[in-house]
Formats: sequence, C-alpha cells, structure tokens
Amino acid sequence: MTTNHDPQLLGAYVLGVLDEREARAVEAHLASCPRCRAELTELRSMADVMGDVPPEALLDGPPEGGDLLLQRTLRQVRSERGAQLRRRQVGLGLVAAAVAAVVLGGGFAVGRGTAPDVAATQQASTQPVPPAGTRLGSATDPRTGARMTVQVKPAAGWVRVNASVAGIAENEKCRLFVVAKDGSRQEAGSWLVSAAGEKDGTNLDGSALIAPEDVAAIEVRNFDDERIVTVPV
Amino acid sequence: MAALWSRKREAAADEALIRSLYEEHGRALLAYATRLTGDRAAAEDVVQETLVRAWRHPDALVNGKGSVRGWLLTVTRNIVTDRIRARAARPQEVAETPLTPPVQRDHADSVVDSMVVLEALDRLSSDHRDVLMEIYFRGRSVTEAAEALGVPPGTVKSRSHYALRALRETFVGQQVALKGVAG
Repeated sequence: MTTNHDPQLLGAYVLGVLDEREARAVEAHLASCPRCRAELTELRSMADVMGDVPPEALLDGPPEGGDLLLQRTLRQVRSERGAQLRRRQVGLGLVAAAVAAVVLGGGFAVGRGTAPDVAATQQASTQPVPPAGTRLGSATDPRTGARMTVQVKPAAGWVRVNASVAGIAENEKCRLFVVAKDGSRQEAGSWLVSAAGEKDGTNLDGSALIAPEDVAAIEVRNFDDERIVTVPV
Repeated sequence: MAALWSRKREAAADEALIRSLYEEHGRALLAYATRLTGDRAAAEDVVQETLVRAWRHPDALVNGKGSVRGWLLTVTRNIVTDRIRARAARPQEVAETPLTPPVQRDHADSVVDSMVVLEALDRLSSDHRDVLMEIYFRGRSVTEAAEALGVPPGTVKSRSHYALRALRETFVGQQVALKGVAG
C-alpha cells in the first residue's frame, strides 16, 4: 500500500476515526513518505491543542434553568457599582452644595453633604461634567420668600431636573413642574416639606416629558396650584 | 446629580454586558464548572464569580468570541482550582503564608493556547467546524458524523483533514499575534 499517497486521510487518522483497515494502510504509507509524516506531525499538534479545550467550550447559549444565577450576578454587579457610586456621590453632593451656596449666598444646604475630610479627598477627583446643554438657574420669589436652584439636563426628547428648594414652610405639599415655552407644564415630582426641609432646604431629582429646547422654567406650586417659586432657565 | 445621566447609562451597560455574556457563554461555563466541581450549586457560584470578574475586566473582552470564551473558561478553571486549594489548606493550622503564590498557576502558554484554539475554531467555515465538532468533540464515528451532517463518509474524512489544516493556519497566525501582544 506504499503507493497510496492520500494526505486527505491524515486528518481522520489523527482524529482516530479511520477503520482498522484504512488506518493500517495510512501507517504503511507513512513509513515510506516523509511528506506525509511531516504533515502528520503538524496535524497531530493541532489535535493536541484541541485536547486542551474542554468539550463544554463548544456549547452555546444560556444555561438551562440559570435564571437565578443571572439575577444573583446582576445583583452583585449592581451593588458593587452602587458602592463605587456612593463613594463618588459624596463629592457630587458637596459640589452642588457649593454651587447653591455661591448662588444663594448661603442660607441652606442640600441634603447630601458629609464629613469634610472625606469631601476634601473626593471632591478633586470627581469634578462633575454636566452633559452638553445642561442649564442652571436660581431664583427667590419676592412674595413667598422661597428660593430654588435648578439644573436641567437634556435627555432624548425630555429632561432631567435637579432642584434645591428652600424657604418653604413645614407641612406644605409641593409639586415640581417643568414649564414649556407654550405655557404647558409637566409634573416632575412632589413632596411634603419637613421640618428639616423648611430649615435646610430639600433636594430632589425629577424628570419630565418636555423637549429640552422647549423648557422655559422650573416651578414649584402647592397642591392648590398656587405658585411658590419659578426659576426661568 | 450632575453625573446622574451617565451613571444610569453605565448601570444599563453593566447589565447589558452581564446579560450578553450569560446568553452567549453561560451554558458552556456552567457545564464546565459543573464537571469540575461535581456540584451544580457550587458551579453556579463559580460562574457568578466568573461573570463578575469579566465585568471588572472589560479589557479582556475586546477580542473575538472564541478568545472571550477561552478567557472566561480559564477564569472558571482558576476559581475552581483556588477553591479546591483553599478547602484543602483549611485544616492545616501551622505556618499560614497567605502571600505564597498558588503552587500550580496555569501556565500562560496553555491559557493563550486555549484562547487561540477557540478563536481559531470560531473562524473556521461552518462545514469545517461542524465536522470537527462531530468527530472530535462529540466523539462520533465517520459513519455517524456523515449521517448527522448529511454528507458521504468520504467527505467527512476529507473535510476533517482540511478543517485541521485550516485550524492550524489560523492557529499559528493567531498564536503569534497574541503572544506578541502578551510578551
């Protein structure tokens, strides 16, 4: 069989799937064919490398009945991400407090401050960079004496709002509105002023479906729809 | 506040990353971990840890699917090995040396190899990949593979040959590239 030069059989030979007769024929040929021996060596090295790959490596898709595993993993990632953020947020709260203090000449603090030593180390590394198009505004209502500082950040066709509101009496029920240029408005949140809120102010996040370019002002009203403070932006 | 927007986006990206790794590789990882640990619950813990480590090292996930799979499987194996070692070490109460490196860390070459071979397998034509899957990874005979693939036995033989050749070509090229990067 030494004349049977058929390198195509070498792959199957290396993989051990030739029947006995074929395998013997290949071996007989190999004994007299250096080219096929060289080829065999190369193919065998591939088979060896594949041997390092666990058969499971070829399975695709999600595991069966692995839903809890996925949920647990997502929870762990969320909580690790949360821990990172809490560390970062300390800095952000203080920057906001600083902004509010500058704008309003003091008088109230946002509710996110923390020990100053932590602040000193965090603040430098976490200078917030507001997304493009973020607008800031601040106003004091001469009639009610309520003060508000707002930040309006654009989203895709809507806006996120952060407001620091002070100078409203305890137990007042308040609503935060985003007012559009055409005079329509959307509620972005509501709250009850606490004793601490009356004294130190209240900080809240909200959102409203008004296109960023259509936003005219942020407004606080009570539940009787009486205007408490308006901040044009 | 100022970073609220990007923060939410990051959180969504985290979830998307974990979900896509789970959808694509979860089955392979859990099956592998189950075989290594012999315990489904322990295997789930290992896979959870593997996915979290992948999330912490997104730089490991930039290559092709095969490389990612190879990386994940290597992490899975290392976690299992470390846990077995930790369990074995627990009863000994003397001379605790927590800084001693693990005795048999996976050799870098074998890690690279399994990443490379998976990547190379992934790049084969489906004809070539299928025939290797049937014969090598499912352990089927030529006749069985021929039946499963709907081709004559002679084709199974010649395809398995060309598949190995193609694998080798990709493998050699890849190996050089990856070792070049690693070295």
